[in-house]
Amino acid sequence: MDIVLYGATEISYLIAARLHQGHNLTLLHDPGEANDRFANLDVALAEGSGGDIAALEKIGAAKAGLFIACSALDEANIVACWTVKKLADIETICFISKPALYRNLSSTSQNQYQTRYDIDSIIWPEQLLTQDIFRIISVPDALDVEYLAGGKAKLFEYRIREDTTILNTALRDCRLPKNVLIAGISREGKLFIPDGSTTIHLDDKVFFIGTSQALDSMAADVFSTSRKVRTVSIIGGGNVGLMLAQKLERRGIKVKIIEHDRQRCTLLADTLKRALVLEGDGTDLELLENEAIALADVSICTTDNDEKNLLCALLIKQLGSQRIITRVSKLQNYELFGRVGIDVMVSPKASALTEVLNRVGAHRVDIIALIEGGKGEVLRLTLPDTFKAQRIKDFHFPVKAIIGVIRRGHRVLIPNGDSILEPGDNVKIFTMKEDSAAVRKLFF
Amino acid sequence: MRPPLVARALGIILLAFGGVLLLPALLAWIVGENPAILPFVVAALVAASTGLCCFWYGRGSRDFDQLRRTEGLLIVALTWTLAGLFGGVPYLFFGLSPLDALFESVSGITTTGATILTDFSLYPRAFFFWRSFSQWLGGMGIIVLFVAILPQLGVAGRRIFFAEAPGPTEEKITPRVAHTAKALWTVYIVLTAIEIILLILVGMPWFDALCNALSTMAAGGFSPHLESIMGYGSPAITWIVTLFMLLAGSNFALQYRMLIRGHSQALLASEEFRFYLTTVVLFAVLLFVLLLANQEMTIAAGWRDSLFQIISIMTSTGFSSADFALWSIPAQTVIFAMMLIGGCAGSAGGGIKVVRVLFIAKFLKREIDQLVHPSAVLPIKIDRVTVHEEVQRQMLSFLLFYLLLLVVSGLVVTMLEQDAVIGMVGAAATIGNVGPGLGEIGPMGTFANLQPASKMLFIINMIVGRLELIPFLVMLAPGFWSLSRNG
Repeated sequence: MDIVLYGATEISYLIAARLHQGHNLTLLHDPGEANDRFANLDVALAEGSGGDIAALEKIGAAKAGLFIACSALDEANIVACWTVKKLADIETICFISKPALYRNLSSTSQNQYQTRYDIDSIIWPEQLLTQDIFRIISVPDALDVEYLAGGKAKLFEYRIREDTTILNTALRDCRLPKNVLIAGISREGKLFIPDGSTTIHLDDKVFFIGTSQALDSMAADVFSTSRKVRTVSIIGGGNVGLMLAQKLERRGIKVKIIEHDRQRCTLLADTLKRALVLEGDGTDLELLENEAIALADVSICTTDNDEKNLLCALLIKQLGSQRIITRVSKLQNYELFGRVGIDVMVSPKASALTEVLNRVGAHRVDIIALIEGGKGEVLRLTLPDTFKAQRIKDFHFPVKAIIGVIRRGHRVLIPNGDSILEPGDNVKIFTMKEDSAAVRKLFF
Repeated sequence: MRPPLVARALGIILLAFGGVLLLPALLAWIVGENPAILPFVVAALVAASTGLCCFWYGRGSRDFDQLRRTEGLLIVALTWTLAGLFGGVPYLFFGLSPLDALFESVSGITTTGATILTDFSLYPRAFFFWRSFSQWLGGMGIIVLFVAILPQLGVAGRRIFFAEAPGPTEEKITPRVAHTAKALWTVYIVLTAIEIILLILVGMPWFDALCNALSTMAAGGFSPHLESIMGYGSPAITWIVTLFMLLAGSNFALQYRMLIRGHSQALLASEEFRFYLTTVVLFAVLLFVLLLANQEMTIAAGWRDSLFQIISIMTSTGFSSADFALWSIPAQTVIFAMMLIGGCAGSAGGGIKVVRVLFIAKFLKREIDQLVHPSAVLPIKIDRVTVHEEVQRQMLSFLLFYLLLLVVSGLVVTMLEQDAVIGMVGAAATIGNVGPGLGEIGPMGTFANLQPASKMLFIINMIVGRLELIPFLVMLAPGFWSLSRNG
C-alpha cells in the first residue's frame, strides 16, 4: 500500500521503521526538520507543508491508500488531513495532543454538530496510554493486559513469584483452567514461545491467553489474587495523570496525585472530585513517606520525564510498593528500565504505534497488540477461503507461533491441539517480531 | 462621588415609591375604610415631593452610564433608609409615636417582622395590608423591583442591582439585568398568587390570605392576626405556609429556571439547596425530639410545629404556629441557632445565608485536612466549582463583621434592657431579619416596651442586616467620602 506520512517526528520514525519493508512510504516534512534517521529507512523524503495542496499533489498523495499526519503541531495535522481529503477520498489518521481538540474530533461527539470534521481516525497517544494503564490496573497483579476479540478474550502477563503454584513445573504438567493457554515467556529480557517441556522459573514473565472468566479463575488459583484495587497513587499530573485519575474516580477508587507545578495542582484540584492533590516533587522522599504513596495498591509514575519516572519508580519500590507502572517516553529506554527492575512499562508511543499498525492493512493481517515493548506481537488474520480445514496439531508452523484465539462467527474459542481450523476463521496469533512476516506469508 | 447623580437616581426611585404608597389607599377605598385613605395619600405625596426635589437637584446629570460602585452603594443604602422613613408616615396617623412608626416601617420593609403593636383590634385593614405589602416589596428587594419597572435607570440599574444583593453568587439568569429583575419578580408574583389561592381554598378569609401570603413570600412575618399563624388553628394553613416559607427561603433564580424554563432538576442540583433541606430536616427532627420530651404534644402537632418553626426561623420569616417563647430552654436554643443561618443566597430570606454557612463548614474541614496532608492542594468547592480566594476572603470577613455587629449590639442592648435574652436574641433576630425573639420579645410579645435607644439600635441592625452589611461598612471608610471632593 502507498502510505504518506506527514511530519518528521519520533512517532513517524517508529511507524516508518515498522512499515517501510512492506509498504511504499513517503515522508512529507516541513523544511529544516531533522531527518538523518530516516535515511536508514527505505522511505521517500519530500519537503513541504502538509497544508500545501501543491506539495501533496507533487508527491502523489492522491494515489495513496493512507495518510498519517503526525507532525508535532495539532493544527497542522488537522489542516493536512483536510487538504489531502480535497485531493481524493483517502483514509486519514490524525495525531492530536490537546484534550480540547481531541474532544472536538473524536467520533462520538462530532455527530452532534452541524458539519463533521471529516477526519477518519484520531490518535491521541496520551489518551491511548491512559486506556492501557487503566486496563492493566483493572487486573490485580497483572503486568500487562491486552484485549483480544473485543474483550471476550484477553492476554494477561504475570510475573512468577515464589508462592505461584506453577513454579518449577513443566508446561505440560501445569493445571490451568480450560480455555487458558500460555502463549509466551519472557526470561531475563528474552521473549520466547515455550513448548510442553519448558519449565517455568522464578521471575519469569508469563503471557496467558484465554477467555475473560477462565483467566480470572486462573489468576485466583495460580497467583492467589483476589484483592481488588482500592487505592492508587499517581506521580505526575499531566494529561495522562488527570485522565487516569478521572477514570479511577468514576470507579470509586481512592486516588492520590503528586504534581510539582502549583498552577497545575490548582487545575487538578478544581477538576477532580475527590482525588487528593499533593503539591510536591515525586522524588521527595519525605513527601512519599508522609503520604504513604507506596502503600497504595498500585503506583503509577507518569511524568513527562523518563529519568524522573525511573527514579520515582525505584524510590517507591524501595518503600515497599507491590505494583508500579512506569511511563517510558523513549522506546530505547524500555530495555534499561527492565534491567534495573521496573516491572510494568507503558509508553504513549507504543500505544499509538499499536493503534496505527492496527489500521494499516486492516483487511488481511493486523497487529492488535505489541508485547514487551515490541518484541512480541499479537496478529489478527482471517483464514482465506482457499484454506483447507485441518487440526492445529497437524498444521505446520515453520517458526514459533501460537494460535491463541479463534473467532468463528460470534463464538470465541481458545484452541488446543485438537481444535480444527476452518476457512473464514478469524484467528489471533502470538508470535515474535522477527517471525511475524513468516507467519503472515504462511496463510496467504 | 457626585451628589447630583445620586440624587437623580434617588428621585426616580422615590417618585415610584410614592406611586406604590397609593396602593393601600386604593385598598382602603375598595373595602370602604374612607378614614384610612388620607394617611397613605399624604405619605405618597411626601415621598413623591421629596423625589421631585431630588430629581430637580440632579437635573444636570444624565450620565448614568458612568455610575461608580461607591455611588451605587450609596443609592442603595439611601433608598432603603428613605423607604423605611416614608413607609412609616402612614403609621403616624394611627397613633404610633414617630420612633415606633419608624421601627414598624423598617421592620416591614426589611422583612424582619418584629412588631411594636400590642392590640391588633385598633387598626383598619389598609394598615395591616401596608405592613404585609411593605414586606413583600422588601422581600425581593425594592431596587430589583425598580430596576425591573423603571427603564430610566438604564445602565445604573446594573450597578445598584448587584450592590443591593452583594451575596456570594452574582448570577444573572438572562443577559440583561432588567430582564433578570423581571424574571425574578415573575416567579415571586406567581408564587404569591398561588399561595393566596391555596389559603383561600382551605378556608382563610381573603384579606388574611392576601396579607399572610405577601408576608410569607417575603420571608417577612407580619400577620394581620395577633397570634400569627397559630391564631387560625388550622393544620392545613400551617402546612401551606410551611411549604411557601421553604420556597421563599430558596434561590429565586433557580426557581425561575425550574418553573419557567422547565429545568426540573435546577433546585436539587444546587448544593446550597440540598444543604438547606438537610439542615431543615435535621433540626426539625432534633426539635421534634426535644418537644416530645419536654412538652405535652401529639405526634402530629409536634412534627408540624417543629418543621414549621424551624423553617420559619431559619428562612427569617418569623411566623409562629406556637408560642415558642414558652418552650423548654433546649428547644429555644435550637430556635436561636436557626436565627443565625438564614435563607439561601438569592432568596427573600435574611441572615448569614446558607451558602456562607456551607462555605464555613467546608473551610473548617479544609483546615483540618490540611493539617493531615500539609502539601495537599485542597480547593473549596461549592456546586463542584472552586470558590475563588477573593470570594473566600469576602465570605470570611462578612461572617466576622456579622458576628461583631451581633455581639456589640447585643451587649449594648443587654446593658440598656438589663436582660441578656432580649439583648442577644433581639440582636440576632433583627440583624438576621427574623422578627420575633424569645422572652418578652417572643412571638406573642412585642418590642414596644424597649428603651428608645434599643429600638434605634434594632432599626439600624435591621437595615444593615438586610443589605448584608457591605453598603454600610464602606460608608465607614474615609476613602468612600473623600471621593466626593475629587469629583
